[in-house]
Amino acid sequence: MRAFLAGAQIQLRFLRAYPDAAIPFFTAPMFSVIFQMVFRHAGREDLTPYAAIAPVFIALWWLALFNSGWTITMERWNGTIEMLVAAPSSFAAVVFGRITTTTLLGVVSFFETWLVARAIFGTKITIYHPWAFYATVFVTLFAMAGTAVAMASLFVLARNAVTFSNSASYPFYVLGGILVPVSFLPHWIRPVSAVVFLSWSADLMRAALQAAPMHEFWFRLAMVAMLGAAGLLVGLYAMRVILTRVRGTGELGTT
Amino acid sequence: MSALVSNARVSWYAIVSGANDYWAIFTLKSWVFGWCVRMLSQVSFFALIGKLLESDKQTQFFLVGNAVMIAAMGATFAMNMTTSERGNGTLSLLLASPSRPVLVFASRGVYVMADGVFSALLGLFILGPAFGLHFPFPRILLVIPLTALVGMSAYCFSTFLAGVIIRKREVTGLLVNATIVILMTLCGINVPVSFYPGWLAWISRCLPITNGLEAIRDVIAGAPASTIAAHVGAELLVMSGWLALALVTFGAFVRAGQRDGSLEYAA
Repeated sequence: MRAFLAGAQIQLRFLRAYPDAAIPFFTAPMFSVIFQMVFRHAGREDLTPYAAIAPVFIALWWLALFNSGWTITMERWNGTIEMLVAAPSSFAAVVFGRITTTTLLGVVSFFETWLVARAIFGTKITIYHPWAFYATVFVTLFAMAGTAVAMASLFVLARNAVTFSNSASYPFYVLGGILVPVSFLPHWIRPVSAVVFLSWSADLMRAALQAAPMHEFWFRLAMVAMLGAAGLLVGLYAMRVILTRVRGTGELGTT
Repeated sequence: MSALVSNARVSWYAIVSGANDYWAIFTLKSWVFGWCVRMLSQVSFFALIGKLLESDKQTQFFLVGNAVMIAAMGATFAMNMTTSERGNGTLSLLLASPSRPVLVFASRGVYVMADGVFSALLGLFILGPAFGLHFPFPRILLVIPLTALVGMSAYCFSTFLAGVIIRKREVTGLLVNATIVILMTLCGINVPVSFYPGWLAWISRCLPITNGLEAIRDVIAGAPASTIAAHVGAELLVMSGWLALALVTFGAFVRAGQRDGSLEYAA
């Protein structure tokens, strides 16, 4: 726990020091404008919940993904990764602490996105199922952080984590149905979407913003939690295996 | 004449240097399975909105707009290459050389821009048929030089911005991403320019992409040659304007940095 909190603390300092950390807080409202414009131009104001949710997922995914990618890369560039791995504290706990901190900050994008929609387009976002919505947000943040830990463990082995980070955005936005539901994707790709927690999470959040009753809420929420937990467990296990291996071969700073 | 040859040689070395940088970032495998998959996903992400709206016309609108946006995005990424000189500690050496910095910077990212144009066309011609769109042949071939024009225009804009931020390397990532999303919002990528309020439409027409993209949409729609030519002319004008601005201001930004010592080896 101490390592987790230390990771969280150092991450807050990093976020203050690097302006790049503010990227999603600028792009999320802009994406909100784009999606609102699109649906307004098409005369489909009924799709407002779609436009309200997608930019938030983009911001959260960006934060989790680039945070995990850059965490490892920055440690390498700074020449501190060997010391961090050699320290008695858990490397995974420090990384998870850093990722969780940034992911939690992503909640700000909800307010930004909805404020922009309100200020520019006069769009009012109504949460019809508040408890379901808040529960989904909470579990989604956990799943986002868990998945990011899995990514981080892969990035330990990647020579250039940033290249992978840059590539893992839109493929997951499509597979996760964050704007256009998975039901619009070709049939053959839907089984892949089913194991991406974003698809369950985005569907739930959209449903919570619509007046119609929500079906199978607990099952869908459990799927988000389960996939997030799976990501976390896989990530922690992979990180332990990888670290043991690269410490043995002396490739930690060079892989 | 000798100055021209000298400039051409400097420009060529800068292009080769940029290309080498680029292939140090990407291998063929990471380009195909990383960048290419991401690019196709990005265009699909927006084209799928057309499916959500149950409109083939909208699908085509989003697909064409966002495929062309890839060219502009590549051009904007070139900003990273110019400012990386600072990170590599080579900026001071470059500024001390007798060559004009703007010449090097404007050439160094050409390869990224060319890659963006190629990717845009790849996205258009792979995903167009995949989304059930029919492109008129051989007229569609005109899209190739027009996409290159959009890429070059965005590149001139990007070179101007690279000069603006040359003293603030730490904000490059933020500016690159902000520029991309602003261009996506304001350049008629996802809604027609006529949807914007008058003053915003005017701004939109002064930005790269907008006019060139309209020319591309006109080519696909089979519009008269005069209409296409008007949009091409407007894009050329916009490109020239941003290029001129880059050429005029770049030196001033560099000199200001030299005066106040903000062009250190690595920020």
